Amino acid sequence: MNITFSGTRGLLLGGTCELALALAVSMIKSSLFPILTYRSNEGLHRIRHALPQYEKNYDVGYLNLGDRDSLQALFTHVGSDLDFLVDFAQGNYESLIAQADEAEVYRYCMENISFRAEILKTVGRTMLKKRKGRLVFVSSTAAQRPNPGQGLYAAGKLASEALYRTMGLEMGGRGITTVILRPGYVEAGRGRVYIEEQEGKVLQTVPIKRAVTQKEIAETILFLLSDSAASLNATVITMDGGLTHRK
Amino acid sequence: MDTLGEIKKIIMELLDLEDDPITPDTYLIKELGAESIDLLELAVAINSRFKIAVKDEDIFLTRFRLYLTEATQKGMDNAPYIAGKYPHLTNGRIAEIITHISEGPQLKVKDLVSYITNQSKGA
Repeated sequence: MNITFSGTRGLLLGGTCELALALAVSMIKSSLFPILTYRSNEGLHRIRHALPQYEKNYDVGYLNLGDRDSLQALFTHVGSDLDFLVDFAQGNYESLIAQADEAEVYRYCMENISFRAEILKTVGRTMLKKRKGRLVFVSSTAAQRPNPGQGLYAAGKLASEALYRTMGLEMGGRGITTVILRPGYVEAGRGRVYIEEQEGKVLQTVPIKRAVTQKEIAETILFLLSDSAASLNATVITMDGGLTHRK
Repeated sequence: MDTLGEIKKIIMELLDLEDDPITPDTYLIKELGAESIDLLELAVAINSRFKIAVKDEDIFLTRFRLYLTEATQKGMDNAPYIAGKYPHLTNGRIAEIITHISEGPQLKVKDLVSYITNQSKGA
């Protein structure tokens, strides 16, 4: 299969997470140019540490969810030459709904929903100038089946999915399309921590009896960015080994 | 700068118009059939061409009817209330829009020119 891409420059929001770093490597190997966002010096160091041999093949930009000045500065830096967006950004706040701190709830929704709408507005208007763009939102199966304590996380993911889906409907005719990927248990980040906390028992509920790998996620997103996947628009793809489809 | 000429060029390109039917009094939505996605592209193009900040809801008079309702609810005169919301529109133009508002979307090409001129002054 010959995978081709319409464009080269891709912005990776939440660029310091393991999945984003894995994707960045895959993109670079496919001659794409990732721009990874970070929100702390520690995150910036993580990027530098993960991609030492590729320092001329990627860029970085500061973005802090909820910080509108950082968004403006990021796009001043990125400019109008942007072909792809892959959105891994998501704050974490675990609490039972009836225990959640009110101020934290408002802050969480502002950072993870309202601010994302502003990001999409900025990205959409940037891509509209070229009438071309591809956006991938990395959601979670928690959007469909949250565990107790994941109410806000699930709400943030579902609301963000709605933003991406609708944008694909609105702008598909102008060459700007969206797709959402919902991974299940993943061998990375919070997923790995959770699996370890549960001593692997949770994987017994997955029909394939294992977690989704970072490599699988990175390669799937790369495919979703390719020309071959262009007709996958305004829709959700679940990648969970069958987890959410069993009784 | 010939703002009207530039606007006409942008509209003709975006709406794929071959002839030049556009005058300052042309209705964008009623006559040219511009849809919301066309207006979005137009806003982006105006921002890019004229280097001005464009607030879509203001340049396209999106909330005009809502502001009329607000004025009524607050017991205020319509025209001055609208003038406060859309400083780029003249009193005459506001009166004209209010008179014809029941006939459909009133946005005209000259309203875009007024907005750009007003924003350019503030730039």
